[in-house]
Amino acid sequence: MAGKLFVRRRDGRVEVRLNDEGRGFVRALFREVVAAERDPDHEWRGGLLPPIDPSRDEDDPLASLQRQQQIATNAELALMTVDEQYLNDAEAWVWLTTLQVALRATALARGLFDDERLEAADASVVDQVRGMQQLLFELADCL
Amino acid sequence: MASVKPLRRSSTKSDVASETTVVTQRPWHVVVWNDPVTPMKVVVVVFKKVFGYSNNKCTQLMLSVHHDGRAVVWSGQRERAESYCVKLQVAGLQSTVEQDS
Repeated sequence: MAGKLFVRRRDGRVEVRLNDEGRGFVRALFREVVAAERDPDHEWRGGLLPPIDPSRDEDDPLASLQRQQQIATNAELALMTVDEQYLNDAEAWVWLTTLQVALRATALARGLFDDERLEAADASVVDQVRGMQQLLFELADCL
Repeated sequence: MASVKPLRRSSTKSDVASETTVVTQRPWHVVVWNDPVTPMKVVVVVFKKVFGYSNNKCTQLMLSVHHDGRAVVWSGQRERAESYCVKLQVAGLQSTVEQDS
């Protein structure tokens, strides 16, 4: 993944300059978020459903449902557009949010709660985290 | 011509007493928590999108989260606080609501 990965064009669209490997990486992440939304036993599940109000035993079910539906909708739209060369603003936004959800879910599932634990993590996990961070950093630059 | 009720009547002792018993609701805060993996730029972009704050304000809030471990990014009614909290969580940021102590 060399060079700029996302470029804002004059017509307002965001051009995706990922090669096949990059697209495959992103596709796998989007698929995992969709899978985690559907499977209560998925290891990312905890990362997707943190408490809204930790002072209460249970969150407002409507707020929880709203969050779950929005994450699922974003992830599904991101997955549908994963092969597109150009993204509009709404599509670029769902890419960003779904990648960020994947990044945070990975960090929680792997116990990466601080910089020390991140540095001490398995090389493949660190590579995955760094890959997501690079994508997010460059995509955020276009939004 | 229909009689018009006066909009305001002179206050009495009972009015004053009832006014003083009104308790102002403590505001609810939306809190964003630091994590070691989220790029700073992403936090700024999400704050801009969710709250519509200026670039400067978003950067200041992001730095507060980074340095202090958490920051109150919005305060007000509970329902709106929960709605903002959900939006931040949908965008992948660690966020909670809490009432002003």
